Amino acid sequence: MLEHLGEKLVLQFGDSAIFGLDVISLIMSWVVMAVIIGFAWWLRQGLNQDVEEEPSGRLVVLESMIELLEKQFSDAFEKDQLQVQLFSFISTLFLFITVSNWISIVPGLSSPTQDFNITISFALLVFFISHYYGMRINGTGKYLKSFSEPYAFMLPMNIISEIAKPLSHSFRLYGNVFGGAVLISVLTAKLIPVLLPAIFQMFYGLFIGAIQAFVFALLAVSYINVAVEQ
Amino acid sequence: MELSASIVTAAKYLAAGFVMGIGSIAAAYGEGQVASHAIDGMARQPEMEDSLLRTMVIGQAITESTGIYSLIVAIMLLMVV
Repeated sequence: MLEHLGEKLVLQFGDSAIFGLDVISLIMSWVVMAVIIGFAWWLRQGLNQDVEEEPSGRLVVLESMIELLEKQFSDAFEKDQLQVQLFSFISTLFLFITVSNWISIVPGLSSPTQDFNITISFALLVFFISHYYGMRINGTGKYLKSFSEPYAFMLPMNIISEIAKPLSHSFRLYGNVFGGAVLISVLTAKLIPVLLPAIFQMFYGLFIGAIQAFVFALLAVSYINVAVEQ
Repeated sequence: MELSASIVTAAKYLAAGFVMGIGSIAAAYGEGQVASHAIDGMARQPEMEDSLLRTMVIGQAITESTGIYSLIVAIMLLMVV
């Protein structure tokens, strides 16, 4: 009954596993993008009004969302320059992950973040961006030299801890979302198929999903802070 | 099913249960500690609430990773091995 859990629908283009294409995750991430773009377009329509008019409902929604994101993410950056440059990146990460976690409460749809490939790609994106900004702000030579501090023999340990960062970053999101999905399908298939799975679905989809997206974005901010500080 | 295969299956399920049960103790205890101290701090200095909340969430997320690793190991034991 639960044998389908680990299975994936994969299109193979070559012999190697690298050329496989996970169809469900791909389509679901397109759905998430469509939802976000549609919502943004809908909010954008609310801006077509005179300055003197009373603000419309959509304008208030947009402003309160931006205010919330700025308060949480923009202030978390320690460098003022990055607050401006990376605010949109972090907010995009947060919005995409939130919507992909929330979309699993619609019956028949699955979150793209249940797929480890998606979360590791986000984590690698954060990894490369943090090193890029570390090099750009501190200077490449100084930044690379900082790995051999405080002592030269610490170099392997520092490199391993850098590699562990994207792994733990992506496993955290994947583990939480996938664990919730497994729990819900076990509940539905083996225990009670009425009412209780729906409540768990709400809890895991809405509450844990939002918290994990928040955690992912905040950890991205703090990894970038650490790389820039060195 | 022959005997050796059923022993392997039983060991798999037992190991997954132990991994999850023991592995989550430390994560849960650590997260509780983080939350309780953060609440102490918030009660003492309510004006620090925003930055304390942010630090608390990051701290809990990092503490939670051991729990998540045990979940991954348990899933791998059940489905991959």
